[in-house]
Amino acid sequence: MAIIERPAPGTTVPALTPAAPAITPSRTYGALRRPVATTGWKSWLFTVDHKKLGLMYGATALFFFIVGGLEAVLIRLQLAAPDGKVLNADLYNQMFTMHATTMVFLFVMPMAAGFANYFVPLQIGARDVAFPRINAFGFWCLLAGGIVVNLAWFLGGAADGGWFMYAPNSGPVFSPSKGVDFWTLGLQIAGIASLTGAINLIVTVLNMRAPGMTLMKMPVFTWMITVVQFLLLFAVPVITVALFLLTFQRSFGAQFFDVAAGADPLLWQHLFWIFGHPEVYILILPSFGIISEVLPVFSRKPLFGYPFVVFSGAAIGFVGWGVWAHHMFASGLGPVSVAVFSLATMAIAVPTGVKIINWTLTMWGGKLVFTTAMKFAIGLVVLFTIGGLSGVTHSVAPSDTQQTDTYYIVAHFHYVLFGGAIFGIFSGFYYWWPKMFGKMLNERLGSWNFWLMVIGMNMTFGPMHILGLQGQPRRMYVWTEARAGEGFFNLGFWNLIASIGSLILTVGIGLFLINIVVTARSKVRAPLDPWNARSLEWMTSNPPKEHNFDSIPHVHHLDEFFHRKYEEDPTTHTMREVASAEDVLAELERNADKHIHMPSPSYWPLVLACGMPFVALGIIYSIPVAIAGGLIMLYALYGWALEPATAPESDFDAPSSNGHAVGASHG
Amino acid sequence: MNHRDSNETPAGGRLSVARVKAHRFGQRALVATGAIALLGSCATNAPQDTWQPKGPNAKMIDDLQQPVFAVAGIIGIIVSVAIAYVIWRYKDRGQPIPEQTHGKPALEITLTVIPALILAVVGVFTFRVIFDLARTDDTQLVINVTGQQWWWEYDYPVQNEWGITQPIISSGQLVMPAGTKVLLRETSRDVIHSYWIPALNGKRDAVPGRIHTLRLEADEPGIYAGQCTEFCGLSHANMRMEAVALSKEDFASWIANQQAAYQTPAEGTLAKEGEAVFLNQCVRCHQVDGLKRPDGTLAIAAPDENVWSGAAPNLTKLMTRNTFAGAMFDLLRDACRDDVWKADSAEFGAKYLAGVDEACLNVNDLRAWLRNAPEVKPMYANPALLTETNGKYRGMPNLGLSESDIDKLVAYLLTLK
Repeated sequence: MAIIERPAPGTTVPALTPAAPAITPSRTYGALRRPVATTGWKSWLFTVDHKKLGLMYGATALFFFIVGGLEAVLIRLQLAAPDGKVLNADLYNQMFTMHATTMVFLFVMPMAAGFANYFVPLQIGARDVAFPRINAFGFWCLLAGGIVVNLAWFLGGAADGGWFMYAPNSGPVFSPSKGVDFWTLGLQIAGIASLTGAINLIVTVLNMRAPGMTLMKMPVFTWMITVVQFLLLFAVPVITVALFLLTFQRSFGAQFFDVAAGADPLLWQHLFWIFGHPEVYILILPSFGIISEVLPVFSRKPLFGYPFVVFSGAAIGFVGWGVWAHHMFASGLGPVSVAVFSLATMAIAVPTGVKIINWTLTMWGGKLVFTTAMKFAIGLVVLFTIGGLSGVTHSVAPSDTQQTDTYYIVAHFHYVLFGGAIFGIFSGFYYWWPKMFGKMLNERLGSWNFWLMVIGMNMTFGPMHILGLQGQPRRMYVWTEARAGEGFFNLGFWNLIASIGSLILTVGIGLFLINIVVTARSKVRAPLDPWNARSLEWMTSNPPKEHNFDSIPHVHHLDEFFHRKYEEDPTTHTMREVASAEDVLAELERNADKHIHMPSPSYWPLVLACGMPFVALGIIYSIPVAIAGGLIMLYALYGWALEPATAPESDFDAPSSNGHAVGASHG
Repeated sequence: MNHRDSNETPAGGRLSVARVKAHRFGQRALVATGAIALLGSCATNAPQDTWQPKGPNAKMIDDLQQPVFAVAGIIGIIVSVAIAYVIWRYKDRGQPIPEQTHGKPALEITLTVIPALILAVVGVFTFRVIFDLARTDDTQLVINVTGQQWWWEYDYPVQNEWGITQPIISSGQLVMPAGTKVLLRETSRDVIHSYWIPALNGKRDAVPGRIHTLRLEADEPGIYAGQCTEFCGLSHANMRMEAVALSKEDFASWIANQQAAYQTPAEGTLAKEGEAVFLNQCVRCHQVDGLKRPDGTLAIAAPDENVWSGAAPNLTKLMTRNTFAGAMFDLLRDACRDDVWKADSAEFGAKYLAGVDEACLNVNDLRAWLRNAPEVKPMYANPALLTETNGKYRGMPNLGLSESDIDKLVAYLLTLK
């Protein structure tokens, strides 16, 4: 990274001569010399490159996806038959708490953050995000938070209060293990990642778009990510406050949720769901964005009703703040509140429906190519529709009082989050893999991956509609034969089907992991434009150079890349190719910028984030440890504050003999 | 260009279309099955079926949700068919890349307004039902319900018109008159629980420090199953409830029996020895109204000294109930239990009021419970792990009773009718 010299137009680039001169980076005020490695593990540990950080977010999220998935399989094994013996009550409660926590906070959110980090700058024609070091800091916070939350498994048991952690059940008396402490502090740390990431991406999107890219020419993925960042910006502080209250209650004897001291336990529910409902849209909108890229590409048509999709996304973002209490229809709010939130919840179904309609009409009249990415995208549309419709049934508050806290709700949100968020993420994997790694995921394995996931997902979560309407509540470590009933809708049969489905789902996801390995070992490089894509991230090499674009493209159209390749035939109105992707790229290369400044790597984000788990462990076990963690953070902040964003010129390679240093000079 | 595009179509493309269609057909079949099940008000399945209302409150909810489910199903089918059609009609057969149309605002607005109108209609009906279900001014009988880890207490305040002249405290089964507008006043002693009898109404949380109301009314005598639905800790799964509706006459005799004086077992019987064991061990937490110590003083339980949440089930007239341990276990053997549960509404009252006798007692579960309660129901009862609660239990501890003590206790408990 750092300063990249490009040849002047017209000159050819000579091959690099070996043996770059030894570099002695200047000492920064924090007493550490700047990192200089461009390869090896150090280049990842101290990187501030949005693409590397995106991949690190993705890898971390994928790891936690596997963890959360195994937790889910254990849950289903326990419930496959009445009076399950796989887990005891305590372990089961930890398992469902951590399954949800892991999937929400440590898989879907960071995976979306990974995609956002990698592709938002590319889609808007930027070379990095606005605050690269803060970006790195965010990733390390996420990792630290994930580790702290899961550390509890090895230190006396994980959190056991459910991911919603209702007071007073989360208090020190009712949850005596340290699990909830690890949970609150770990999520607090992971929340920093969301908050810093939100600010970073908002500033990036608002300030660093390529010339000509007005907001209404921005790719929908970037739009949805932007909406999500605003949601995070306002939602994360609420959960931060709630988590602080809980930490003080548990560790320092505060009484925010102590009923005997006059507290109202509903305070927690309101705080949690004011965060928690926007959180639902935080989870789903990135996937909406992904398939809004994928469907047009493989329909060979622009997104139908682009402004409607953008504004419905924004509308979901706004109305999403006014529906939190629909998680509390049974909690005794009184009829006026219930009625208001019931109607608001119905209202939010409208912009969501608009999206479904637009995706369908995008495909209408197109030229549909059924790649794996496209299959997952279509899968999302269908499965999310089912989840959305079951959602409408419990926007009807009286109906919800029968359904809430039963498996019907579990079915609903798994159709929305597995069929929606995760199918979108998988669509993104298959679509963007060649961009990220220069190799295409195997389409044949991908097809198996898709179909096993579709079958597994419907077998696992479909029967839960029946289970819930037949009255099986959630979060029960056992169900009993006595309440299972007889006949077609008996709980025993459908619980078993759901458990078998979860195994099929596991195989399906296993195929994806195998696909990663197969692809990594394959020597076949992906073509430059494998999908005949439409947006800016494809107007660069696979994977992109560290400075993303040789020259920043001027944008004239939504789908700029497509319009550089195709022109409309004036008589038939169909499109004909006028330039290949290679031609478009060569054009950019010809106009390459001479002097590209890239941010320099830094130790400080990592050091600062490393202080946090010490603070957390200190709060749980011993305050001096927390003070030590605080000192580490203070030291890192000092070093960071006095470190220039870009290393001084003297740190860089001397220009090579012809006057052009090509590629990264250091770090 | 066409050349490239058709190359992109994987060999499996056409196959996948077939599979997509097959899959979608499967989903339609599922939705259709659901719709048929709904419209036909299918035969009895699970006891907590939410689609089989047995009282006006649940009926009101069901009448509201049935059309919503139907409309949702129809919309689901329309969307699925549309997508299946698009997949079949517009798959890449080598056609040129189409005109780059960006949408049709008029169509968009129409397709936005239609769902909004549907939801507006649903909203109006929802609004009415919400307020109807919140009414308390037509209440005929009030019962206080208190949740505690992991059982429910039912407390009948004095209501002379129902013959309740002294408070009745019970647990395990909520006994109420059929055809009567009952109002539950719910609260909790520890964490949040939720009271739910699906056949009679939706659920309502029992929140410590607050009193929430829930209307219940059963059309016919019978037993209606329910389950705590707010996660409340270790034994959440074992916190069940049953609502028992009796005819008004049967309810009156139930009330009379609950208020009847305590009868001490005859001297020299095993049950009398059991009373001594009870006084020695159980009465620390469990109240039996009218029970006297050998010195003639009333035995008053002090659960607040031993149990964190402050109460333990009142065992007066225990054998008039069918369940124990938070309705986790039946007091009746399976055959006797089925006899009561499956009785038709005319015979039900008599069978229920007969209570539990020695022949029908589910002695195995009861003995296991007395032998070591935390082993059969997960609870916080390990004395070594009670620092957070200052040594108080959450749930019933292992009392270390001998087998002969258990014999005596069972004999004694059988007299509590």
